[in-house]
Amino acid sequence: QFVPSDPPPPRRPLAYADPNETEEEKQFRRVFQQLAGDDMEVSPNELMNILNKIIAKHSDLKTDGFSLESCRSMVAVMDSDSTGKLGFHEFKHLWNNIKKWQGIYKSYDADRSGVIGADELPAAFTAAGFPLNTQLFDMIIRRYSDENGNMDFDNYIGCLVRLDAMCRAFKTLDKDNNGTIKVNVQEWLQLTMYS
Amino acid sequence: MLSSGIAAKLQHNRDRAQGIGSHEKAVKFLEQDFKALRQECLKSGKLFEDDAFPADPASLGYKELGPKSAKVRGITWKRPKELCPSPQFIVGGAIRTDICQGELGDCWLLAAIASLTLNEQVLARVVPHDQSFQENYAGIFHFQFWQFGEWVDMVIDDRLPTRYGELLFVHSVEGSEFWSALLEKAYAKLNGSYEALSGGSTTEGFEDFTGGVTEMHELMKPNPNLFKIIQKALRRGSLLGCSIDITSSADSEAITTQKLVKGHAYSVTGAEEVSYQRATAKLIRIRNPWGQVEWTGDWNDSSAQWSQISDEDRVRLTNRSEDGEFWMSFSDFLQHFSRVEICNLTPDALSEEDTKKWSLSKFDGTWRRGSTAGGCRNYPNTFWTNPQFKIKLEEEDDDPDDEEVGCSFVVGLMQKNRRRLRRMGEDTLTIGFAIYEVPLEFVGQRKVPLNRNFFMQHESKARSETFINLREVCSRFCLPPGEYLIVPSTFEPHLNGDFCLRIFSEKQTEFQEMDNPVESNVGEMEITEEKIDSTFKNLFGKLAGSDCEISAFELRRILNRVVSNRKEVRTDGFSLETCRNMVNLLDKDGSGKLGFLEFKILWSKIEKYMAIYCQKDTDHSGTTSSTEMRLAVEEAGFLLNNPLHQIVVARYSEADLTIDFDNFVGCLIRLEAMFKIFKSLDTDNSGMVSFNFAEWLTFTLL
Repeated sequence: QFVPSDPPPPRRPLAYADPNETEEEKQFRRVFQQLAGDDMEVSPNELMNILNKIIAKHSDLKTDGFSLESCRSMVAVMDSDSTGKLGFHEFKHLWNNIKKWQGIYKSYDADRSGVIGADELPAAFTAAGFPLNTQLFDMIIRRYSDENGNMDFDNYIGCLVRLDAMCRAFKTLDKDNNGTIKVNVQEWLQLTMYS
Repeated sequence: MLSSGIAAKLQHNRDRAQGIGSHEKAVKFLEQDFKALRQECLKSGKLFEDDAFPADPASLGYKELGPKSAKVRGITWKRPKELCPSPQFIVGGAIRTDICQGELGDCWLLAAIASLTLNEQVLARVVPHDQSFQENYAGIFHFQFWQFGEWVDMVIDDRLPTRYGELLFVHSVEGSEFWSALLEKAYAKLNGSYEALSGGSTTEGFEDFTGGVTEMHELMKPNPNLFKIIQKALRRGSLLGCSIDITSSADSEAITTQKLVKGHAYSVTGAEEVSYQRATAKLIRIRNPWGQVEWTGDWNDSSAQWSQISDEDRVRLTNRSEDGEFWMSFSDFLQHFSRVEICNLTPDALSEEDTKKWSLSKFDGTWRRGSTAGGCRNYPNTFWTNPQFKIKLEEEDDDPDDEEVGCSFVVGLMQKNRRRLRRMGEDTLTIGFAIYEVPLEFVGQRKVPLNRNFFMQHESKARSETFINLREVCSRFCLPPGEYLIVPSTFEPHLNGDFCLRIFSEKQTEFQEMDNPVESNVGEMEITEEKIDSTFKNLFGKLAGSDCEISAFELRRILNRVVSNRKEVRTDGFSLETCRNMVNLLDKDGSGKLGFLEFKILWSKIEKYMAIYCQKDTDHSGTTSSTEMRLAVEEAGFLLNNPLHQIVVARYSEADLTIDFDNFVGCLIRLEAMFKIFKSLDTDNSGMVSFNFAEWLTFTLL
């Protein structure tokens, strides 16, 4: 039978004063704390609730809502230490991207259909920072758009979050910048299973 | 640093494999490169100003030294050149008078810094000499610390907190030498603020400056061979500190009748035996870093005992190198002092050939909820899922007169502060470890982790003295040669944490992590048209609709209808993403849809996985637990190692660590799909696949 001994007196706390936090960041930290709850981390469920609350307020974003599965995937591609949740900096990166891409979605939905059609997608993705070739765009449309080639808001965000994460993963692993990366089977599975 | 998910972890592991984090290639704290920054300042003619640790109240502290506290009134930040005519960085090596305590309660830090002055080689590792106030001065300095297993290079500017023209914190006696004050500032930056230094243990200071492993010996119930352990440690160049516990803070630095200082960090500098009154007396030499206030009991500098030992012994022992140093008998030492801390240095810290060096093995590991955070032996169901490490002890120690025959080794389990910047203080876990003897039938086996039954049937051979929430738990062992299993864990299960496990042994030992290789033994399922019975054909005809192909959307409707009337499995329905994966796995003709044969193969896979799922669901909850998932994955034909088990749980389990049916199938289908893609791309079977950017996106946007 293992018995823990009582812990020593609390040692020096590692509380950090963030000296140079801008007002905007302080406001964002309040949003995060309220959303993340007392474990200070955002779970897929918490992410799903906040995203669905937002799209409820925007009638021009046609969507059948964010599924838990796509939120799991979005958390996974951002989470660097396999805890299944997002810390403050990871969440901030995701949050800023989603706000930016939401603006692009509205301005590139030329026919006001509330979705991004196959013809509108290349321009929208390029504006979001992903100037891919037509072959890749066709693949994205085949995989993420519905049966008549339209991509609604939650699929649009899910696809961009994944695209952004995979592009950054490539840059991170291509340290000497020669345009190719090599992975073994474990690394391949870690990158593709945790996404 | 741009956070880029698991890829950042992979690159971190790759860097470590190339030696980044070793002392020669220290990690640059916050990516600040000392040489580049100094060059920039020299070119622009401006003195360096570090905005990562700015010269403002927040860098001083958060409570007692916080911006609103009275203690910080009147403090201004000045560079040494504004404080004295010709400041010096380091003059003639570091000596104890360079370290005088200031207004910060960091005497434990002084002891650690003082330990640096004992050993030139160890000092040079922390205080690089390529910097000064004369040559190439640009108001920038750097120091190197050991942090959780890797060396970190810390850059600072030389603006120091002062009041009325005097340094507020650590300073040198005559005031013109600044290496100790700058070192303290770099260490404060590492820990977030000066106030963060006001309370810590000498052990931590020793380790942060040397990367060594520190053993703590309480003198109330000392190890019977403590004297020999101290002698061996001194011979090996280890750093030894000792102290007397204080009962109340008023007691701190109080001086006893025999002139010993309480709550004060002494160093141990010698341990010898002499023949005295026809018996051998054990003596120990202690040094007070103040350079004065010495012990007045037996064997002090002018005590009568010295005249009753042989001239030869007297000459050998009384060559006092510095005042503040004194001898006392080992029995008096045990009675008056409370603790001895022995910091064993890593081999690369000692270059002299004569000192017999420790050999060091080091492993980084993680505990993750639901997969590898098994808790201690009191939780048999999950204990076996903790990371396991095997150590092979070959030769016994080579000093025969040592009563205990066997191989001695020190195990140090250190928890890493995962959330370094968490605002509410350190979240230390209660940690410890158990050691098991590997029975003969497993010796030399493939390094595969031992399962639940092994731990149910075998008692632990040894274990850490306790489970406690300290930064490091460290214990010394002496065991007969053989193979042993070390299982580090938190006390309770399902607590996330990162750790660094280190083994110091007198002799070379083999030390490796017990983890599965990553393999898939799922064969291709060959089904021909004739073998399929007609009822299945009609079912498919109805479901596939006019184009006799099933799209991901149709597949989702079909699966959710089928699963809804199977009461033994609980699920909130298959998601479109999982259905897309299934189509991509089996869609041979690239139509993005499933034909009849492809659908039949998928169907039999789902039935196979449902059988495993129900068989594993022993409590009939309709779900399987994350720990059972490890066994289910293996039964489905996949061998995964710890990092991948962690990912399966993090990605597919519910908050209560159960996994429902659609996630179970989704995970296994995706595993099979990804293994299959890798195998198809690894044409030369080298175990490595390379991608250019377009290929990478094509295969990962699944």
